[in-house]
Amino acid sequence: MIGTIIVDGLFAAIAAIGFGAISNPPRRAFLSIAIAAAIGHALRFSLMHYAGVDIITASFCASFVIGWVSLFLGSLIYCPMTVVYIPALLPMIPGMYAYKTVFALLLFSRNLSDPEMVQHYMQEFFVNGIVACGVIFMLAVGATLPFILYPSKPYSLTRRPSESKAD
Amino acid sequence: MKVEKDFHRIVDFVTEYAVRLMGSGVHTSRVVRNTLRISEALGVTTQMTLLHKTIIFSIHDKESGQVVSDVVPVKGYPISFFLNSELSSLSWAAYDNHLSLDEIERRYKQIVATPRINHYLLTSLVACANGAFCQLFGGSWGAIGIVFVATLIGFTLKSFMQKRHISHYVVFVITAFVSSAIASVAMLFNATPDVAIGTSVLFLIPGVPLLNGVIDIVESHILLGVTRLVGALLLIMCIAVGLSITLSLVHNGLVLL
Repeated sequence: MIGTIIVDGLFAAIAAIGFGAISNPPRRAFLSIAIAAAIGHALRFSLMHYAGVDIITASFCASFVIGWVSLFLGSLIYCPMTVVYIPALLPMIPGMYAYKTVFALLLFSRNLSDPEMVQHYMQEFFVNGIVACGVIFMLAVGATLPFILYPSKPYSLTRRPSESKAD
Repeated sequence: MKVEKDFHRIVDFVTEYAVRLMGSGVHTSRVVRNTLRISEALGVTTQMTLLHKTIIFSIHDKESGQVVSDVVPVKGYPISFFLNSELSSLSWAAYDNHLSLDEIERRYKQIVATPRINHYLLTSLVACANGAFCQLFGGSWGAIGIVFVATLIGFTLKSFMQKRHISHYVVFVITAFVSSAIASVAMLFNATPDVAIGTSVLFLIPGVPLLNGVIDIVESHILLGVTRLVGALLLIMCIAVGLSITLSLVHNGLVLL
C-alpha cells in the first residue's frame, strides 16, 4: 500500500515537471513543483482508493494541501504561489473526462432516434461533464484558498529582503 | 520635476509591462497588482480595464496632474511562468529600492530576453510526462512506451505547425489525430490500447488556461475568467474531434465510452 502510494506520487511528479515545462517555469521552481505534485496526487490517490472519497472531494483536499505547500515552498524560492501550484495541479486536470464529455455530446446527437441510446449518452454526458467541471473548479479553488484565508503573505512572495540578493 | 517626455516613457513602459504579463498567461489579479505596484514605484497612478484582447489604461502623473489614456492590444505570447515570477520580482525591487526608469527598463529587457527551455529537452520531458500519465491510468509498460513515442512525435509536430502560425484549432485537431493514431499501435500488441489511445492526447489539454480561468472567476474577474475557459473549451473540443477521427478509423466507433 505504501509502495503504491509512493509510486503514484513519483509518476505524478514526472508528469507535473513535463507538463509544467511547456509553460516555462523558472529553473529553481522545478523541485518545488515536483514535491507539491507528488504530495497532492498521492493524497488524492490514497483518499480515492483507501478511504472511498469521490474524485471531486479528493481533488479539493489535494489542491488545498498543494496550496499551502506552494505557499511555503514559494517563499523559499521567491516564486509566486501560482508558479508552483499550477504546474503541480496539471497531472490532476481531468482531461479524459473533459473529452469524454464532448464524445458523449457527439454520440448523443448521432443517436437521436434511439431513446435508449439517447438516455445512455445523456447520462455519460452528465457524469463526465460534472466530474470534469467539478474537479477543475475544486482544484483551482482549493489551491487559491490560502490567498483568501491568509492574504498578506501570498502577495509578497517575490519580494526579496535586500537588493544584493535580487541581482 | 518630471518632464513630459519622461512621463510618456513611463506610460509606454507601464503599458508594455502589463500587456506582456497578460499575454504570458498570468492570472488577472496578479497582472493588476504588479502593474499598480510598478506604477507606484515610478510615481504615477494607473487605472486599468482589462479585456482579453486589449487593455485600456488611464495613467495619472502625481506631480504634474497630467492624465494619459491608452488602449493597447494584448499580443499572445507563449505561457511563461518564468516571466510571471521574474516580472513580479522586478515590481517589488522597483518598489522597495526606488529604482530609476532606466534601471527598471534595463532589467525588464534582460528578463524578457532570457531564452526558454531547450526544445529537445522540453520534448523529451513532455513525452516522459505523458508516459507517466499512462502509468497513472493503469497502462502496461508496453502502452507507456507507445505513448512516449506518440507524444514525442505529436509534440514535435505541434511545435512545427505552431512555428508556421497555422490556426490553433487546426493544430490541435491534427496533433490529437496523429498522436492517437500512433498510440493505436498498442492494439497490435494488445498493450492496454484504450489507456494508450486515451492518454496519448492528454499533453494537449490546456490545463493552465483552465486553472487561470477558474482563479479569475473566484477572484471576481468573471468576464476574463469565462473568456479563458471558453478558449480552453474550444481547444478541448478540437482534441475530441482529432481523437474521434482515430477512433472511427481503427476502433470501429467511439468505444472509449
